[in-house]
Amino acid sequence: MEQKINLMSHLVAGYPTDELAFTAAKALVDGGAAILEIQLPFSDPSADGPAIQGACNEVLKRGYRTKDGLAFIKRIHEAFPQVSIYLMSYGSLVYTPGIKNFCSRAASSGVNGMIIPDLPFDYDEGLTAACKENGMVNIPVAAPSMSPQRLEKLAGAGFPYVYAALRTGITGTDTRISEETISFIEKLRKGGSRIYGGFGISSGKQSAALSGHVEAVVAGSVFVRLITENASSEEALYQAVKNKALELTGCNK
Amino acid sequence: MSFSDNGFFGQFGGKYVAEVLRRPLDELEIAFKEAMADPSFLEELQQIQRDYIGRETPLLHAETASKILGGAQIYIKLEGLANTGAHKINNAIGQCLLAKRMGKKRIIAETGAGQHGVATAAACAKLGLDCTVYMGEVDVRRQQPNVAAMELYGAKVHSVTSGSRTLKDAVNEAMRDWAANPDTTHYVLGSALGPAPFPDIVREFQSVIGKEVKRQAEERHLDVEALIACVGGGSNSIGFFSPFIDEPGPRLIGVEAGGIGPGIGENASRMTGNASRDGILQGYKSRFLIDEDGQALSTRSISAGLDYCGIGPQLAALGKSGRVEFTSALDKEALEAVKFFAKNEGVLFALESAHAGAEAIKLAPTLSPEKAIIVNMSGRGDKDVFITSPVFRPEKWLDFLHAEIERLESDKDIHEAKIME
Ligand SMILES: Cc1ncc(COP(=O)(O)O)c(C=O)c1O
Repeated sequence: MEQKINLMSHLVAGYPTDELAFTAAKALVDGGAAILEIQLPFSDPSADGPAIQGACNEVLKRGYRTKDGLAFIKRIHEAFPQVSIYLMSYGSLVYTPGIKNFCSRAASSGVNGMIIPDLPFDYDEGLTAACKENGMVNIPVAAPSMSPQRLEKLAGAGFPYVYAALRTGITGTDTRISEETISFIEKLRKGGSRIYGGFGISSGKQSAALSGHVEAVVAGSVFVRLITENASSEEALYQAVKNKALELTGCNK
Repeated sequence: MSFSDNGFFGQFGGKYVAEVLRRPLDELEIAFKEAMADPSFLEELQQIQRDYIGRETPLLHAETASKILGGAQIYIKLEGLANTGAHKINNAIGQCLLAKRMGKKRIIAETGAGQHGVATAAACAKLGLDCTVYMGEVDVRRQQPNVAAMELYGAKVHSVTSGSRTLKDAVNEAMRDWAANPDTTHYVLGSALGPAPFPDIVREFQSVIGKEVKRQAEERHLDVEALIACVGGGSNSIGFFSPFIDEPGPRLIGVEAGGIGPGIGENASRMTGNASRDGILQGYKSRFLIDEDGQALSTRSISAGLDYCGIGPQLAALGKSGRVEFTSALDKEALEAVKFFAKNEGVLFALESAHAGAEAIKLAPTLSPEKAIIVNMSGRGDKDVFITSPVFRPEKWLDFLHAEIERLESDKDIHEAKIME
């Protein structure tokens, strides 16, 4: 096996069904993913592109609740205790039930960290503290369009991990890993945070270009699309997702 | 507490957006403050308000209506006489001028009923800006007259097929577009909500309504008991109330959509309804119709412009402090108000504004004839003919639609024929 690239792969809880989402999680783990970023479907996923947005809507149409999403996460955690689970969602789902309450429920379902893009690091409503109290980390999201001052502030804020969105815009379209991308990551790393980098990552070539600069490469829409395309066959879904994970982790060579 | 305190009105407001939107919002905030302190910008704004929008709009004494109701004198601020038919143009023109000043050539907007889309498309046509309007697929289908107007003004209307395919989904789509194109594009948000600085921007551009009303009421020595406005997102109401907020009177009354009743999903009453919660959605903290998980609930109103699950943060704060009183009007009460003011005053309220009219009908008889109440007619009802006609004159309307379809199908050259005439 070639040098393995750390992969954090994104999955929409309950999409297209709990069973198939579980199969996808297994395929991701078998394909070498070290971290699962599991999205709790929200009615207004404003930072997501069409693939993820459509998946969230499909799940919600079934009457899916936060408790169903957390039960799904718990099942994944029990089946694959060796992988870290980060919960990704939007502020509304965390704020409405009460941030402390939400964080303790998430932690007891096996969540290790939270990624909530619309609770920015300096207006987090107590998320960072509530995560800490429950043995989780809050992982703020950085964008390449941040002003230098704001970037420095985030880099120096003492977060163990920062999620670097590698392109301006939303998830789902291709991102070119350029010199600016790498320099953005390096600036973020200056304060000592470890960086997860993603947005529009869909090929082994891209993940190889990032490895060495980031703690893990993040990929999402690419998996959601494969899951959508293969939803009619559990076996095909497993293979497609696993193969893509192997490609992104650099294990298929 | 007219201006926000660093983006907050009491506990509400803020900039709860993904980091990608942070820079465009910060840049907008700076540009807005600079523009509002620049006399040449204000002069240009005033000139276009006068010559293009048609300001100032009249304050009509609804004498017959007042007599019939037998109480306070009802006055109607005729915002519906503004070019494009509603108050939305005040904000659209203001923001488009601001965008131009910032060097942006492309404008995006979201719209529900279509009034804000029409206003933005017109403002772009007037000022030479490229315009894209996001509109939910459901709204595109039911608001064809406004879609047609936007297209005539040269705007691209983008039908949004995600989520509930209505206003909130159009907002999400506009936000996504902005996040991807912040350097070339300005997002003209249509109401006094969303992330800071939009609530401040929209209120300031709409405050022209309240400033005129204040002057007009003083000139006529009115003893004003109450100002009444409908509240969708809250732009016409906050602009109307704006100069009075920090004063002890008059009473400020906001009227929400009561829809068909008090049940969940039957109305859009965020301040008075029973499904309302503090929440963070679409970039700001306010009162929302959301479930206990935090998912947006569906809403319902006969007036597309009031049919939204959130309310501007400043109004939420003013509701909490008690300075603004909230009430609601049912669909059928709004329809009755349309009829009442049309017949007795010769003014055709937009269905949105008719919610405020309905409250005036209830309130006036409880007050003495020396008192005045002022209703903001935020828009005129021409646009609603496809909604009101099926209610008021269903058979004749059906005949009309059948005849129109026949005419279109039988005469393929209808447009050329018309042009040649
Ligand atoms: C005529 C009219 N009045 C009122 C509204 C409600 O919006 P707001 O509360 O922002 O004034 C709309 C929105 O489309 C409208 O078209």
